Amino acid sequence: MSNAVYILGGAQTDFQRNWTKEGKNFLSMMVEVMEDAFESVKMSYEDLRPLNTRNAVGVFVGNFDAEHYANQGHLGGFLTEVDASFYGIPSARYEAACASGSVAIDAAATKIRAGELDLAIVLGIEIMKTVSARTGADFLGTAAYYELEAKGVEFPFPRLFGQLADVLLKRYRLDETRFMSNLAEIAAINYGNAKRNPKAQTRGWYMSREHANHRNTRFNVNVGGMLCATDCSQVTDGAAVVMLASPQFAQEYSIKRRIPIQDIPLLKGWGHRVAPMRFVRKMEESETATHILPWTRQAILDAYRRAGTTIESIDFIETHDCFTSSEYATISAFGITEPGLEYTAIESGLIAFGGKKPVNPSGGLIGVGHPVGASGVRMMLDLYRQVTNSAGNYQVAGARNGAMLNIGGSATTNFAFVVGLA
Amino acid sequence: MRDIKTVVVLGANGTMGSQCAGIIAAFGGAKVIMVARNIDKAKVGLERAMEAVRSDVIRDRLTPATYEDLQRHIPESDWVLEMVAEDYQAKEAVNALISRYHKPGTLVSTVSSGLSIERLSKTFDEDGRKHYFGTHFYNPPYKMPLCELVSHSGSDPSIEKELEEYLHKKLLRSVVRTADTPAFAGNRVGFQLMNEVAQFAERYSNLGGIALMDHIMGTFTGRAMPPLVTVDMVGLDIHKAIVDNLYQNTNDEAKQTFVLPQFIQHLINLGKLGTKSGEGLYKTVRYADGRKERLVYDITSQTYIKIPELRLPFAAEAKRRIALADYRGVLRVICEDGSEEARLCRYFLARYLSYAFSIIGEVIDTRDCIDSVMGFGFNWAPPSAYVDLLGGVDRAVRLIESARLPVPPALTAAGTGTRFYRLQDCLDARSFFRVK
Repeated sequence: MSNAVYILGGAQTDFQRNWTKEGKNFLSMMVEVMEDAFESVKMSYEDLRPLNTRNAVGVFVGNFDAEHYANQGHLGGFLTEVDASFYGIPSARYEAACASGSVAIDAAATKIRAGELDLAIVLGIEIMKTVSARTGADFLGTAAYYELEAKGVEFPFPRLFGQLADVLLKRYRLDETRFMSNLAEIAAINYGNAKRNPKAQTRGWYMSREHANHRNTRFNVNVGGMLCATDCSQVTDGAAVVMLASPQFAQEYSIKRRIPIQDIPLLKGWGHRVAPMRFVRKMEESETATHILPWTRQAILDAYRRAGTTIESIDFIETHDCFTSSEYATISAFGITEPGLEYTAIESGLIAFGGKKPVNPSGGLIGVGHPVGASGVRMMLDLYRQVTNSAGNYQVAGARNGAMLNIGGSATTNFAFVVGLA
Repeated sequence: MRDIKTVVVLGANGTMGSQCAGIIAAFGGAKVIMVARNIDKAKVGLERAMEAVRSDVIRDRLTPATYEDLQRHIPESDWVLEMVAEDYQAKEAVNALISRYHKPGTLVSTVSSGLSIERLSKTFDEDGRKHYFGTHFYNPPYKMPLCELVSHSGSDPSIEKELEEYLHKKLLRSVVRTADTPAFAGNRVGFQLMNEVAQFAERYSNLGGIALMDHIMGTFTGRAMPPLVTVDMVGLDIHKAIVDNLYQNTNDEAKQTFVLPQFIQHLINLGKLGTKSGEGLYKTVRYADGRKERLVYDITSQTYIKIPELRLPFAAEAKRRIALADYRGVLRVICEDGSEEARLCRYFLARYLSYAFSIIGEVIDTRDCIDSVMGFGFNWAPPSAYVDLLGGVDRAVRLIESARLPVPPALTAAGTGTRFYRLQDCLDARSFFRVK
């Protein structure tokens, strides 16, 4: 029988910060976020020593592309630069494009389930403002099939998710004006939610549905297909940490900190499916399927099944809104609506902050920001915050169970998790 | 919260006026009448307003106008936001115009960097005074969210609360209520330090002057810009107006630090007012080959010279530690280095803490208020954050005592908790310590 996986807490950096402007790098970011994470769970680096002696602690680093952005690989080794307490602790970097944080979580959780670790520290990190937007877009192109989908394309991913918007429109036979207005509403909800989040990159930016719907203008330029700047997530510097624990460690932690064990959230379910690498193949494959992104849907179903739950018991969702079109498609992937009826959830207010199934109460990738390798960990941290009633101004009232979806590439890697209280 | 549908902005063509108009139209969704001296200037302001909030959907809510249109626009407005020149004569003349046309219940507020709100309120009748406030936005307002809210003896507390809610919830301002004291909170503390650094530049003019002081108090000490670069950006004339006001109207132990250095007066006399006039404490020259070079004013020779390459080992070590996110280490270096430059840096940090905490009670209520003001308004690390980085209240007290400056009661009364700085979750003090 496998162990349960508990989530003790974690931290994230302020996604508004530009670390290059501050003259800092990914190591400065790693030091700060680790210190904050340890403080959040009231632990010190000294507490690692007995765990390290037993070989019962590990670090899992989610990162997409430090080689390009920071001219540095082998990030797993860099924990030893954070503090000498990390000497000897197994640590490695995990990569799956924008789902890098989730593959790191998955590796960490697997080790705990297998009984090999008592404490698994998951760090997601990306520093992106070291280069221009254009150069960064080219780096991101390596998350697609670079030779065929990104080489020579100015902004490869806006183009791919612009194609997703085209497919949604065509296959579901949607009214274009209404569909684009729905996408604008998704942007406005995410920016609006981010205003409540003190770590969100866009918390001070102006946005409204009216502006998001005012496309192809000087302040809302076209980036790919029908999508414009307001349909995109952000270029962000940021890191996030979550601490996962075995039942035994969680039990001791609960006693020491006088927190009832039933108040410590569990990672209840996971799903991981990989779809065809090329977007065109994905669309060919799904032509006769119910969902446009069937493997995304399947990853979510797998997570629900392992958690023994359904959408009915999920109180809120953190989804992968790298573009408004991706969030639109995932509404049905989560089962909030039937495929083709996603617009009903948007227009009825169901997914709004005060709705019955709030999506991205944090602000999502559009509002909070999208430091690529950190986003999965940030989502997991937000699930933790919501179900422990510690999300402050963006708390969803009464949240006990949440689900997240983190995708890599053009929905190639699909990771879903369910987190909740016992 | 107050329902504000129409706003008249007076002085809407500058950075402050146009950005405030943009913020009110965008976040507040209000119709904004943008008043300038002539219609062309008002139209320039309108374009700037859209650029500030990066949206042109607010265009329909913005109306350019001139002072001749006030008779028509003021009676239909819910709020008149005045930001004309920073002197009593100009503001009182405009207040007389506003009071002639405004209907009962209309809010009127002034963007002043430190004039007496009590005195400015006198132009209005009883209802007008109830609705009159100081709303000190910081420049540029789209990037700097601080707004100091100032009341006076005739203002209505319930209306002040409504305005505070509107500024915070609708316009996303970090609102701090301050007393109606000279320069309020931010400028009093900020300009104290900047002017004293300028005084030291004069005193140390043969050793590096302006360049030396900006190097000693560089961004590695916890600020987005060195102090005298900031003075240059603000404008030497504005700097003079603020410190003169503080010198004339305050009487605390820092009074002498508000005396304007002679070299700044000299530059003002020459019309060299800073960035806005192309030269001031610094100057950028463009050569025929397209090369640009930044020069600094040499107080001794009264000429602009190349910025000297100053090698300060303590500053280099502090920067190295910032790159490693070792912020406590930065403060240790500053506190332990034996050089004269590090001693000066310690003195200025001690002065910042001593003076910032000294105005608690007189100008603002709590240390959170002064922390918000300095972080959100000046882009300086908040004073309480230094206390933690120094190692706690006792060490902060020792730093201040070593500099022979008064230890403010608000600091010692706080006791020794685990963390002195309480705004870390919304204002990350570490972001102000910069290498560049």
